[in-house]
Amino acid sequence: MSTSIGVWIAAFLTLGIMSFLYKDNPIYKFCEAVFVGVSAGYWFVVEFFNVFLPKVYDNVGIAVNVLLVQGRVDWFHWSYLLGGILGVLMLLRLVPKIGWISRWPLAVVVGTTAGLWLINYLVSNAMRQIQSTIIPLYVAGDLNATIGSIILVVGTFCGLIYFFFSKEHKGAFGGAAKIGIWFIMITFGASFGYTVMSRMSLLIARMDFLVGTWLGLIR
Amino acid sequence: MKKIKSILFSFFLLLFLFNLSFPQESSDPRPPTEIKAFDTPNDNGHAITVIWKLSADDGKVKNNVVAYEILRSDSPEGEFEIRGMVPVGENLFEDKGAKEKKDKNYFPSHKNFYYKVRAKADKTFSESEVSKPAFAYGQWYHTGKTTVLAGVIVFSVFALAFINLAKKGKELYIRPLAGIEAVDEAIGRATEMGKPILYILGLGSAEMIATIASFTILSRVAKKTAEYQTPILVPCYDAVVMAVAQETVRAAYLEAGRPDFYKEENIFFVTSMQFAYVAGVNGIMLREKPATNFYLGKFYAESLILAETGSVAGSIQISGTDEIAQIPFFIAATDYTLIGEELYAASAYLGKEPVLLGTLKAQDWGKAVVIISLILGALAASFGFQFFLNLFRVQL
Amino acid sequence: MKFFDRLLAIDRRIIFLFVIIAVTLPLFSKATLHIEVSPMVKAVYDAVDNLPPGSKVLVSFDYDPASAPELQPMALSFFRHCFSKDLKVVIIGLWPQGPVQANIALEDVFRDPEIKAKNLKYGVDYVNLGYMAGNEVVIQSMGSNIHTTFPADYTGNRTSELPLMKGIKNFDNIDFIYNLSAGYPGTMEWVQFAVDRFQAKLGAGNTAVQAPGMYPYIPEQLVGVLGGMKGGAEYEIIAKRPARAVSYMLSQGVSHAVIIFFIIIGNLAFFVTRGKKKTS
Repeated sequence: MSTSIGVWIAAFLTLGIMSFLYKDNPIYKFCEAVFVGVSAGYWFVVEFFNVFLPKVYDNVGIAVNVLLVQGRVDWFHWSYLLGGILGVLMLLRLVPKIGWISRWPLAVVVGTTAGLWLINYLVSNAMRQIQSTIIPLYVAGDLNATIGSIILVVGTFCGLIYFFFSKEHKGAFGGAAKIGIWFIMITFGASFGYTVMSRMSLLIARMDFLVGTWLGLIR
Repeated sequence: MKKIKSILFSFFLLLFLFNLSFPQESSDPRPPTEIKAFDTPNDNGHAITVIWKLSADDGKVKNNVVAYEILRSDSPEGEFEIRGMVPVGENLFEDKGAKEKKDKNYFPSHKNFYYKVRAKADKTFSESEVSKPAFAYGQWYHTGKTTVLAGVIVFSVFALAFINLAKKGKELYIRPLAGIEAVDEAIGRATEMGKPILYILGLGSAEMIATIASFTILSRVAKKTAEYQTPILVPCYDAVVMAVAQETVRAAYLEAGRPDFYKEENIFFVTSMQFAYVAGVNGIMLREKPATNFYLGKFYAESLILAETGSVAGSIQISGTDEIAQIPFFIAATDYTLIGEELYAASAYLGKEPVLLGTLKAQDWGKAVVIISLILGALAASFGFQFFLNLFRVQL
Repeated sequence: MKFFDRLLAIDRRIIFLFVIIAVTLPLFSKATLHIEVSPMVKAVYDAVDNLPPGSKVLVSFDYDPASAPELQPMALSFFRHCFSKDLKVVIIGLWPQGPVQANIALEDVFRDPEIKAKNLKYGVDYVNLGYMAGNEVVIQSMGSNIHTTFPADYTGNRTSELPLMKGIKNFDNIDFIYNLSAGYPGTMEWVQFAVDRFQAKLGAGNTAVQAPGMYPYIPEQLVGVLGGMKGGAEYEIIAKRPARAVSYMLSQGVSHAVIIFFIIIGNLAFFVTRGKKKTS
């Protein structure tokens, strides 16, 4: 059995959270409150020391220093102040009367993100994928590859048909859409299985911690 | 004796002359030819590409070339420095460097450079003629991304055209969606049972597309609940989302002619911690026992917990998200699910806003282009034609 | 009939109990399951194995302790592989806890006698440049200049003064990138920015939730992907160093079998009771 206080605290919190599986109880509520509080505090510290300090405080400090010592304006470092101001304007949403001002920095964020993502998503998630799907349907001498190519092209085609909203799913079009939804459901089933595997992996690690690290029953 | 001496002398003289006429095969490889140097296209202007015709002794047994060295100078008669080496069989080299002057590998643009290529054999080498001068310069337009530009222009034209049509009042058809048809039935059920409706906008922020789509559907649902005087509860994860949700519901109640029934305390902020939010909403479900739950927006790992608790509470549940990993959970645990893009289609269908309808139609036409290209491309590729593959190729 | 009705109404806590037992009991056993190495994992392994000694590998730690059970074994076996091949490793993190996880993995791998004997030096054989806020903008910035993106390392040393970083300016000087990802920012952003924009070579280790979403990128944009703890186990097998991930596979297999069993009997009960209701 472990003699480390940290391990005992971690074990208590793990068992407290897992007690919810039986039913809601005060110990679970306490553990969750601890988790929420520590998370909030941790994120505040991370944001302060990794975002605010290096990006705003340090850069504006350099700009001020250059102005005072060298008497010139260092526009590059002063530009970081703009980001700081936009951040403060975001906080104005807490003031009902001037809360509308917070829409401006939000617009900057939305516009910048859209511009940054537009070409990348179009290239990586559209053009390159279309390129990868334009493959020969028949691969001479390789039956597996031929079947794989046909499945890939038919699945992509029918999946796209399913998400076509301008035509009702009737007749041949409806048939293709039905094949499409089958492909989609099989994909979701596989994704579901993968997610279950992921959750089981986390549980395995936790149980290993409890019986191994905490109780010392496994070497 | 004299005769023998003269014969021997003639013999060696002939041998000497023979060797002069047919010298022993030189160990120098034959030089590369047709050397060309030009600005590397589609770059920032700090690279020159050099190409040449391979030495005739490339890949030969005798005087075999083992590598090519590329040399550069500021002038044709000046001192040449080695810029790089390529293995045998290759006839292209890109001479590039840094764009900052203070970098030791700085490559100036708009400066003439002369190149020659040295074919190296085991112990000897031969050099090509000096190339014509070439200088590097940056391009404003990357021709390799023309496909991307064409895609953006085509889609934009579609979008603007359909938005224009929608604004003029033209009916743009959207096929019926099972989840949407169930909305009215679900609201009616809540009214009959005298229970509230729970509407969850997800964990996304206000600028996310899924959240924006959910606001549109919330407006429609809120208008119906105003007409039926059914309470609607909207617990929010994000403070900005809460503010927008309050405005949305207030406007919907006003539109329905029931502003007095609007209760701001029904649209409230819970917490911005994922599982704490889930715990709070679960508590609401188990206490209030809403007749209908809507889960429309951005969801993550909490999706199944919410849907399971709603199922235990006996609510009819309609869900929709574009988070692919969470869709399987909603399909398994809720009654109706809007899969991915169906959420956006639903918001266009219910909101009937010209911009939403127009962009949805543009997406459909874009998909049609892709579908046709896929089929024609796969068939063409099966017969060895690369046209469609090259059409979608993006050079970076 | 009552039996099937009772099956459908089974208390979920009984199912939880079965799953916990299925997960815990195999941990006491030394037995392991046979693990087949998938082509995707082999592709990542081969890409690293084919690198000549002295090659530079960038490892991005984009996860937090919540995903460590799946991704930490991958990090460990990857480090072991790199150091045994005398590759130089540059560590960064797009998540704040990423570099911390990297240090934990380094501590673990340096306990290996083979790696310990190499007497690896910080700054020469490996560096940890720490966390940088900015998500995909950080990747884009690294494509121009890694030194301006990460002016100092995890402990505050100037990046330009580290011997390993002297020969590295941007992705052109990196031979292989390996991304351990649990969400955003993660592998998709590395594909979009490092691969599609700067032609870098990329392999990834993802949580099992994320892994299927990365398959469309293979093989043109992504060399291969290690999916979940199973992917980590496969890498340990192909590297001939079975460790934690392999030891967990028995629990994984048994718990999956229990879940499949409950799915089958649940569906059986559903269809039988539905059939009976239709008849009545």
